[in-house]
Amino acid sequence: MPRQKIVIDPITRIEGHAKISIHLDEQGHVEEAFFHVTQFRGFEKFCEGRPFTEMPSLMARICGICPVSHLIASAKACDAILAVRIPPNAARLRRILNLAQMVQSHALSFFYLSSPDFLLGMDSDPAQRNILGVAAAHPEMARDGVRLRQFGQQAIERLAGKRVHPAWVVAGGVSEALSAQKRDAILAGIPEAMAIAMRALDWFKSEMERFREEIRTFANFPTLFMALVAPDGGLDFYDGKLRFLDAGGHIVADGIAADTYAQNVGEMVHPWTYLKTTYYKPLGYPDGVYRVGPLARLNVIDGCSTPRAGQEWAEFRELDRGAVLSSFYYHYARLIEIVYSLESMEQLLTSPEVLDANVRAHASANNSEGVGMSEAPRGTLVHHYKVDRDGLITWANLIIATGHNNAAMNRGVLQVARHFVHGARLNEGMLNRVEAVIRAFDPCLSCSTHAAGRMAMEVELRSAGGELLDTLRR
Amino acid sequence: MSRVLIIGYGNPLRADDAFGWLAAARLLDLIADPEVEVLAVQQLTPELMEPVSRAGRVVFIDAASSGEPGVLQVASVSADPETRRFTHHATPGGLLAGAAALFGRAPEATLYSVPGQDFGFGERLTPAVEKALAEVVERVRAGL
Repeated sequence: MPRQKIVIDPITRIEGHAKISIHLDEQGHVEEAFFHVTQFRGFEKFCEGRPFTEMPSLMARICGICPVSHLIASAKACDAILAVRIPPNAARLRRILNLAQMVQSHALSFFYLSSPDFLLGMDSDPAQRNILGVAAAHPEMARDGVRLRQFGQQAIERLAGKRVHPAWVVAGGVSEALSAQKRDAILAGIPEAMAIAMRALDWFKSEMERFREEIRTFANFPTLFMALVAPDGGLDFYDGKLRFLDAGGHIVADGIAADTYAQNVGEMVHPWTYLKTTYYKPLGYPDGVYRVGPLARLNVIDGCSTPRAGQEWAEFRELDRGAVLSSFYYHYARLIEIVYSLESMEQLLTSPEVLDANVRAHASANNSEGVGMSEAPRGTLVHHYKVDRDGLITWANLIIATGHNNAAMNRGVLQVARHFVHGARLNEGMLNRVEAVIRAFDPCLSCSTHAAGRMAMEVELRSAGGELLDTLRR
Repeated sequence: MSRVLIIGYGNPLRADDAFGWLAAARLLDLIADPEVEVLAVQQLTPELMEPVSRAGRVVFIDAASSGEPGVLQVASVSADPETRRFTHHATPGGLLAGAAALFGRAPEATLYSVPGQDFGFGERLTPAVEKALAEVVERVRAGL
């Protein structure tokens, strides 16, 4: 048979577009696979000329799912331009907001996007494989997902005024202190949220045995891992310094401050995608390919400071002697991070200082450059700005988690395709597993590709001469 | 439990798509009844299933993409399981179906919609839709 190319191309969506192409050789074996992000946003360019103080709210518009992450990384870059140390309670409140964001975003990923695969099966009817297919078969799980995400969204709204694109986080801190009434309202929801998180975690652990083949083949290969770690080596979503770990669990680099990220993180472009690819610069590409996000974070840290999450983390790390390598475990790590987030929120909200009214430092631009780093749900987020003497942006560079994971996602697609795709005929299970390995990373573009509860896809199998051999539509 | 839950939705940066969102924003200023809850949101999300299930009745306000621009349409909405395949975006019928499936109740619901003319970038309604905005606010208030 001639060489062939399978193209998995989603119907155009508003918030993100991607497609996958799989190349078959003459024997029908998978030769190569590519994950293409076909959208071009241009945020780095069109912010040029804007006052840097506008950047947090401007950058929040990058994403409707994780605007809080962009707000925080952007505000930290602006803090660096102001050259201020923000009030302790401003940092505390930003931390709480970021934790609430983790809860809602991880809940979306696990319950809405991925639980249909776990509960209904990778090979199940795609018409039913969605959150309300889950509602029909496992209503308690669907209800838990809705309630947990609602908790996270409401906490963001209570803190920041609105749940999508809030403008509360500003250069120098936050714009308004927290009231006791709002604090109590958030705290009141934590016990139910924690019960949901623990139920989901216990259930997932009990079900992992059923997914041995996926665990073995879902982007399961050696790479480096990167995340921020706290000064004590613990999990930290808001601050800390970068650490790189190798597949054997050895620290490759540590203590990398925000303003030296560029010496360690290299960026490159591939002709098949608008998404930049990053790598650990001292090792070059492809040896320096690394992963970020929940799996990476739980791999690189020395411990988790909250009691329940700490215990779960210790159990998680027993999966492998070195780093935990299978990207299927992103789901597991995500659930542990929800537990950590809820415990941390409770600790921070019960601090007597959380109502302190000193929440903003004021200054003019004192530096011509600033870098902000934080951990977004999907991984490390970097905002780097340069300004002129009037504080207008002259240059910006953003590195988002999906970019850090780009190389690993490509290799993951290839690994899954090689394992599950054979010959000239396509089947639903194959298609769904190719989606599911991408879904494990929870890339930012998932918000668009799942808008109807599934990736809206059309797969065409064509001969080298362009003849259409097979089509699969959803 | 709110006696009436009003949900106006749309994108305020997409010209006539803002119709529902703007209507809810106006109603928020006009209604002081603690038993009436008004939400101005950019889109319907599954998290709304829970407050929908607790409401006595629900009023949805939205812009429509087809029909004569500016002509207000009122229709009752029933739970529609065929529109439940959402993740973070939903339809009124899908929300009602989800509310019934997950929280045990789908209240009576009405959809007020107005066909728009312009859904491009912009923060202004076209004149016909602007006129309908005042009408929908009055009719929803009168029906409380």
